[in-house]
Amino acid sequence: MRMISGLRGTLGVLAAIFWKGMKHYLRYPGSLLIYLMLPFLFTMLIFGMGRFIGGGNAALNFATRTGTSNVLVYEMLGGAVWMTSWVVVEDVGVALRDEQMKGTLEQNFLAPVNRFTLLIGISLTDIAITTAIFLVVVGATLVFTMPGAYLAFFQAFLILLIGLIPLFGLGFFFSGFVIKFKEPYIFTQMVNLIFGTLTGTYYPVTILPYWVQFLSGVLPQTYVISNMRQIILANQTLVSLYGSIFILLALAVVYPTLGYLVFKKLEKDASVTGELSKY
Amino acid sequence: MRALSKSFETKEGPILRKSKKTLVAVDDISFNVPKGEIFGLLGPNGAGKTTTIKMLCTLITPTSGDAFINGVSIVENAQKVRENLGVMLTGERTLYWKLTGRENLEYFAALYHLQPSDSRTRIDYLLQLLGLKDREHTIVENYSTGMRIRLSFAKALLNEAPVLLFDEPTASLDPQSSRLIRDVIRSLKKEGHAIILTTHNMDEADLLSDRVAITDHGRIVRLGSPSELKDKMKSNDIIEIEAVNLSDQTVNTLQSFSEISKVALSTKDSNDNKGILRIHAEKGKEVLPRLLEFLVRKQISITKVSFIEPTLEDVFISETGRSLRD
Repeated sequence: MRMISGLRGTLGVLAAIFWKGMKHYLRYPGSLLIYLMLPFLFTMLIFGMGRFIGGGNAALNFATRTGTSNVLVYEMLGGAVWMTSWVVVEDVGVALRDEQMKGTLEQNFLAPVNRFTLLIGISLTDIAITTAIFLVVVGATLVFTMPGAYLAFFQAFLILLIGLIPLFGLGFFFSGFVIKFKEPYIFTQMVNLIFGTLTGTYYPVTILPYWVQFLSGVLPQTYVISNMRQIILANQTLVSLYGSIFILLALAVVYPTLGYLVFKKLEKDASVTGELSKY
Repeated sequence: MRALSKSFETKEGPILRKSKKTLVAVDDISFNVPKGEIFGLLGPNGAGKTTTIKMLCTLITPTSGDAFINGVSIVENAQKVRENLGVMLTGERTLYWKLTGRENLEYFAALYHLQPSDSRTRIDYLLQLLGLKDREHTIVENYSTGMRIRLSFAKALLNEAPVLLFDEPTASLDPQSSRLIRDVIRSLKKEGHAIILTTHNMDEADLLSDRVAITDHGRIVRLGSPSELKDKMKSNDIIEIEAVNLSDQTVNTLQSFSEISKVALSTKDSNDNKGILRIHAEKGKEVLPRLLEFLVRKQISITKVSFIEPTLEDVFISETGRSLRD
């Protein structure tokens, strides 16, 4: 039997994991549809609450605090990034635990593949899914509200791609954590709600207390949302936002490294304690 | 395999007052399996068979000792070990139920780095061999249990590994599928694969294995070829009594008979305490009348009495005093 070695072999493994994930998404499209609908539904909810609480001054208050009167685009950008972060936490963070519960994790771990490669493969599927979310949610919003903003849309997409790297790092971290401590969905739902609250999804982080803003400052989503809004709503460019993008790039190094180390440590512990075999 | 051991720390007791306990799952096991041999690990549930297999395939790290798969250490080079292994773990939950049979095999073939053209040929061959070719494009959740287990078995053969580990390969299979799997295992032996097989089915171990290790509480209590092990039992008569209203107390009393060396009870139906007594005695025919009289006096209703040839189960009973099915 001839084997493929080296980089080609690894690419073959990544492609197989990617297509396996895509087949699951496309054969059972319910979760993808939910991911595409939720940003719209959440924005409607926020819209309604804003009008209820702010009354006649709602639009003015919004413009004063955010520097734009385009409520819809502002909220939809936050919602789209939140959903991206949601997908990564749910998919990458829970993927191995999900496989463990199905009984397929051990089968993957029996293969002569670096176990971290499995997480990278799952992340590739998520790049496709989050790209679809971005194209549909942000693309549709801009087509109807800001037609012709192609360059801004393209730059915002680049910001998303940079932002996905630290997000995957967070996913790797949660992945090891979830294998060790089980209870994946309670954990990820809690984390997703905290992220939605702290990262300026539907309001600027400047309205949060200072100590909370510190927490916001270490989360990559905060920079992704803020940069996208600056590019699309305030005519900024990737070049003019270099400082913020530099922080995002730094987080793109820190989080995957941290995630990898935590995953390896917890995966090794699970192999010693036998946790890998427990459903 | 050299002095392989595994113990687990468990926490027991109410919250805040949990105490740590150490459970020894595998205790200082050593054996070697040459090419072209089927080696059976036989023992009851909890004997440490699956833990041994999981250590060999690098899913669990041993507490001490080491094992070498095709010369590669499981402690030093786990990834290289996995290249040399084909593994089938128990059960049907080892596949992606939302993929087709072929897609499952294609996925795992990629994980084993098989060349796509070789992989197609190999998958075609395995699907044909295991009677799944006509259902290759069916989603696995629509497979029967037997088909899923056969597919799981096919997965273990994808990379033509020199060493094959099968954990209860015929558990929950119908007789026809079991026979098919056994035939394939025999032909793999002829091809020169070293095969380790765990089972609590003594007939299967007897039928397939060149050598058998009988395990209990994580230790090997007897090792040899099935015929060697059974021959050592020939000095004893083995009486099998099927009866209703049997209890552990009955077993304990029978054990005190001086003519009886071992007694084991396997319960068939716990509602009416129906079960089978297996009694080892040097002079079975002489002790039988006294034995039956005792059972009748204890109001045990006997449905069948027979003298039987020793099986691997009797070897297990003679070593542990318990039935494999306990």
